[in-house]
Amino acid sequence: MRYLRLIGHFVRASFQQEIAYRANFFISLLHSLLNLGSGVLGLAVLFGQVETVRGWDFAASLALLGVYLTVGALRGLFIGPSLDALAGLDGEVWSGRFDFTLLRPVDVQFLASLRHWRPLALIDLALGLGVLGLAIGRLGQSLTLARLAAFIVALGAGVTVLYAILLAFTGLFFWSPGFLFTWLFDGIFQMARYPVGLYPGWLRLVLTWVVPVGVITTVPAQALSGDLTLGMLGGSIVLALALLAGATALFHTGIRRYASASS
Amino acid sequence: MNLRGGWALIKSMWLSWMQHRGFFFLLAFGWMVPPLIYLLVWSTAAGGGTVGGFTRGQFVAYYLVLILVNQLTYSQTNWTVGDVIRIGDLNPWLLRPLSPLYHALASEVAGKVVYMAFVVPVSAVLALVLRPELHVTPRDGLAFVPALALAWGLRFFWGYWLALLAFWATRADALLAVQDALVFLLAGQVAPVALLPGAMRGLATALPFRYMLGFPVEVLTGQLGAAELLSGFAWQVGWLALAVTLSALVWRLGLRRYAAVGG
Repeated sequence: MRYLRLIGHFVRASFQQEIAYRANFFISLLHSLLNLGSGVLGLAVLFGQVETVRGWDFAASLALLGVYLTVGALRGLFIGPSLDALAGLDGEVWSGRFDFTLLRPVDVQFLASLRHWRPLALIDLALGLGVLGLAIGRLGQSLTLARLAAFIVALGAGVTVLYAILLAFTGLFFWSPGFLFTWLFDGIFQMARYPVGLYPGWLRLVLTWVVPVGVITTVPAQALSGDLTLGMLGGSIVLALALLAGATALFHTGIRRYASASS
Repeated sequence: MNLRGGWALIKSMWLSWMQHRGFFFLLAFGWMVPPLIYLLVWSTAAGGGTVGGFTRGQFVAYYLVLILVNQLTYSQTNWTVGDVIRIGDLNPWLLRPLSPLYHALASEVAGKVVYMAFVVPVSAVLALVLRPELHVTPRDGLAFVPALALAWGLRFFWGYWLALLAFWATRADALLAVQDALVFLLAGQVAPVALLPGAMRGLATALPFRYMLGFPVEVLTGQLGAAELLSGFAWQVGWLALAVTLSALVWRLGLRRYAAVGG
């Protein structure tokens, strides 16, 4: 209960900070629309030339883009800004301000993951859900309640995997401060824009097992179009939980290495 | 023109950037991923046959050349010019006995050296794995060099005049994001310009963005006949002349407004 109240305070504080910069709203809107436009047009160009690629047609790929945008928006809403404040460029670990975070009487991981919010990411969230809605409309009749339920579970697992990967990279930052692991991940995460099935075999293996961004977007999109087996859904839940546990352990081991910094 | 001073500046910046190469390699990796995604998606779409007249190997060749040209013509300098003006860091540049353009050129050269040190080996490995199909005729090889140089000039000066609008507006860098999105859609990244749907292809031919990136790639991969080659160069030179004029004009007007903030 206390933690929920704290989240409320974090959101309010972030919101108050953000509304001081009104021009930023329009710039963020512009960025979001550009991101959406180039994603949709990219798909339109591809499927203007071919009907299907490895079983993925326009509607299914649009659903996947919707998942990608939605997950990306959730990341931009709180996971990204919070963890970046810790291990990003000029972050707390680097500058030594992490001392003050450690001293607070709340769980460190909770504080590190949920402290900073970026309300402007709600624009992205709305656009992502919009694309998702559009794609679901295109899939039409074939969508059953069971599929929708599977989709929601798969999406939850996907977001958990994303959080776990980012938390693990943040933990690694304690071993190698200065190396921006999240930037490396950003590059790889862009590949989640397209179904992993479109990539050549070796890369598909990397994107499924090493840095499982495939689980984040491809599996939920497959759940929507009904291509997902129950085994794969179960597998992605197990993977999400395992990664979450591993990342949490890594993060806490990392914190023990933290030796502050002086200026 | 203080050539000796300018050269010293260029060299010192490139050497200092090489010291932080891990950081710049990460940036280069991030820029490489989008064209790489389209390389893989299009070559999967082509499979054993052709899409829009391209075979799998030709897509690979097109996109590998595009990755190199993109890195050579992308000018990250323009992203920092706005900050320099806003924060007031422009003051020391103005006081030095050499043209402020040297500062921009210095970071351009430094950037190219550092990024190429990453992109060339990676592309070479990719070429070994993905087996491109590239037959360069002497005519295309010769035409590629000026096309590439003009493309860099156009992309640099086009971004430079947009960035210089920071003399008037604090968030002029939003326009650079628009430019990046248009380059993505219309300059041959999302698909070779020949594969774009009709209306988009018309826009791509008339607007400057194709001449910043796609045009030299099309030249080297032998997609253009003699007439298209000449008209392409004409568009390129025309847009470059406009971009240089606008940069000079905006610089002169902006400097008159500039009131040197900071200290």
